[in-house]
Amino acid sequence: MDIDVLAHGIVAGSLYALVAVSFNILYRPTNVFNFAQGELVMLGAMIFASLTSLAGMPWLVAFAATLITVGCIGLIEERIAVAPILARSQTGTGWVITTLATSLIISNFVGRFWGPDPILVKPPALLSMESLDILSSRISSYEIALILVTLVLVLIVERIYRTLKGKAVMAVAEDREAALLRGIDPGSLGRWSFFLGAAFAAMTGILASPVLYASTSLGPDLLLKGFAAAAVGSIGNNRGALIAGYVIGVTEAVGASLLSPGYQEAVIFIVVLAVLLLKPEGLFGSPNARTV
Amino acid sequence: MKAIVSAPLLSAANVDAGYGHVRVLEDVSVDVRQGRIVVLVGRNGAGKSTLLRALSGLNRPTSGRITFDGRDITTARPNGIVDAGLLHVAEGRRLFRRQSVADNIELGRYGLRLTEQEHGRRVAHIHELFPILQEKMNLPAGSLSGGQQQMLAIAQAMMREPKLLMLDEPSLGLAPVLVDQVLAAILALRAQGVAILLVEQMVERALEIADDAYVMQNGRVIASGLAADIAAGDALHAAFMGEHGAPHHSEPRQSQP
Ligand SMILES: Nc1ncnc2c1ncn2[C@@H]1O[C@H](COP(=O)(O)OP(=O)(O)OP(=O)(O)O)[C@@H](O)[C@H]1O
Ligand SMILES: [Mg+2]
Repeated sequence: MDIDVLAHGIVAGSLYALVAVSFNILYRPTNVFNFAQGELVMLGAMIFASLTSLAGMPWLVAFAATLITVGCIGLIEERIAVAPILARSQTGTGWVITTLATSLIISNFVGRFWGPDPILVKPPALLSMESLDILSSRISSYEIALILVTLVLVLIVERIYRTLKGKAVMAVAEDREAALLRGIDPGSLGRWSFFLGAAFAAMTGILASPVLYASTSLGPDLLLKGFAAAAVGSIGNNRGALIAGYVIGVTEAVGASLLSPGYQEAVIFIVVLAVLLLKPEGLFGSPNARTV
Repeated sequence: MKAIVSAPLLSAANVDAGYGHVRVLEDVSVDVRQGRIVVLVGRNGAGKSTLLRALSGLNRPTSGRITFDGRDITTARPNGIVDAGLLHVAEGRRLFRRQSVADNIELGRYGLRLTEQEHGRRVAHIHELFPILQEKMNLPAGSLSGGQQQMLAIAQAMMREPKLLMLDEPSLGLAPVLVDQVLAAILALRAQGVAILLVEQMVERALEIADDAYVMQNGRVIASGLAADIAAGDALHAAFMGEHGAPHHSEPRQSQP
C-alpha cells in the first residue's frame, strides 16, 4: 500500500476522531447525541475563516473568539433544545428531533450568511500545506502537526476525566440518581459539557479547515463519519474513538485509491455496519457497560 | 443561642409522596433527633424506601413539610439536601461500579472545599472504621463483595461528615459476620454524634441497636415510639402479618449481582 494513502487516511481519521470525541463529551453526562454537532464543526470553521482570512484577526485571538462563540451556541442549544426535554423525562428521546432541528437552523443561517463558496484558510505560522519530501510522501507539515495535536487533545480530554469534576461526569453517566445522592448536580455538568463539547467541535472545524477548506458542506460529512467513529469506538470511549477514526479514515483512503470515487462512502458504511453487527457496543466497550 | 435547640434534627410532617401519579405515602410524620438511631420497619412495599427518597429530594412530596437542621427542605433539590448534611445511602448501595474504590470515596466529597490534610484525615477515619477498604483502593467498586460494597457506600457518605445518615437495608444480602460489622459501624457513627435513620428487614437486630422506631404499613406510619416499646408491643406483629395474615419472612433476601 502507498504510504501516502495511509498518511492521508490517518489525517482524515484524526478529524473523524475529534468529532467523535466532541460527541462523547456531550453524551457522557446527558445520554444525548447532539445531531447538530456536525454543524457546530462547520460553524467553527466558518467563523474562524471569516475572522482570519476576511477580517485579518491574529490566529490566536480568532481561535479563542471562535471557541467561546460556538461554546455559547452549544450552551444555548442545551438550554432551549435539550434541557426542557430531559426535564420532562430522563429517558425520553425527544432530543433527536430538537437537536436535528438545531442542526437545520444553524445550516440554514450559515447558508444565508456566508453563501456556498469555500474559504481558504491558511495554517498557523511555521506550518504549511506544502508537501514535504520525507519518505517519498506528499504529506505536509500541517498534516503531521494535525495528527500530533489530535493525539495530544485526546490525552488532555482523558486527563480531564481524571479530575473530580470528570469523575462526577462518569458517575452521572453510570447512574444519574446515585450521583444526585452524592451531591452531584447533573444539570450543571450537562451545561458545562455542552459548552465544552461545542467548543471542541469548533476547534475540530478550525483544525480541519486548512485541509478541507471552510465551507457550509463540511457539516453533514463530518457528522456522519464522526458519528461512525464514535459508534465503532464504543460510545463514550475516547481512545476507542481515536482508533476507530483511524480505521475509518484509512478505509476511506484505501477505498478511494482502489475504487472509483463515489464507492468510498459505501465501503466505509459496510465496514461500520459489519463492526456494529458483530459487536453492537463497538470495538472497545463491554456489552453490559450501562447498569441502572 | 438557637431557639430551636430542642427541635428534632429532621422532621417530616404529614408527608404525601409517590411516583408520578402513584401515591405511596399518606400523611407520614417522622422525627429524628440529634444523635439517635431511628429504625423504620415494615413489610415489603410498605413505603420505607419511598419515604427515604422523599427525604433526600428524589421524590418531591405532594403535600406536607420536611425540615432539616432548622431549614425547610420540602422542595429543595437533592444536592442542596446533601449539602445541608442529610445523606442517603440508597437501597442496593448504588455505587459507581466502574470507578475505583478510591474514586468512589473521593466522589463522596464532591463539591466540598477541603484542604489536602482534611481530605486525608477523613479518608484515614474511613480506613480506621473499615480497614478492608484500604486494601482495595485501586479495584473497581463493582468487584467488591456485597459487604465491602455496603461499607464503601457508608464510607462515601462519611466523607461529608453528615449530621444525619439514612441507610436503606444495609444488611441486605450480607453474611452474618458482615451484618455485625455494619451494625457496629452504625453504633460507632452514633457515638460520634451522627443521627441515623435506618431501614432494616432484620427487625430484631435493628430494634436492639435503635433508640426510636417507626412501623409502616401501606404507606402509613401505624406505630412509633421507643425502640424497646415497639419491640415489646403488638404493632410489629400486625404490620408483618398484613391484611392477609401471611407471615412475613424477615431473613435477608438475595443481593443483586
Ligand atoms: N419507581 C416506582 N414507580 C412506581 N411505584 C413504585 C416505584 N417504586 C416503588 N413503587 C411502589 O411504592 C410502594 C412502596 O415501595 P417501597 O420501595 O417504598 O417499599 P419498601 O417499604 O421500601 O419495600 P422493600 O422492603 O421491598 O424495600 C410499592 O407499592 C411499590 O410498588
Ligand atoms: Mg425498600
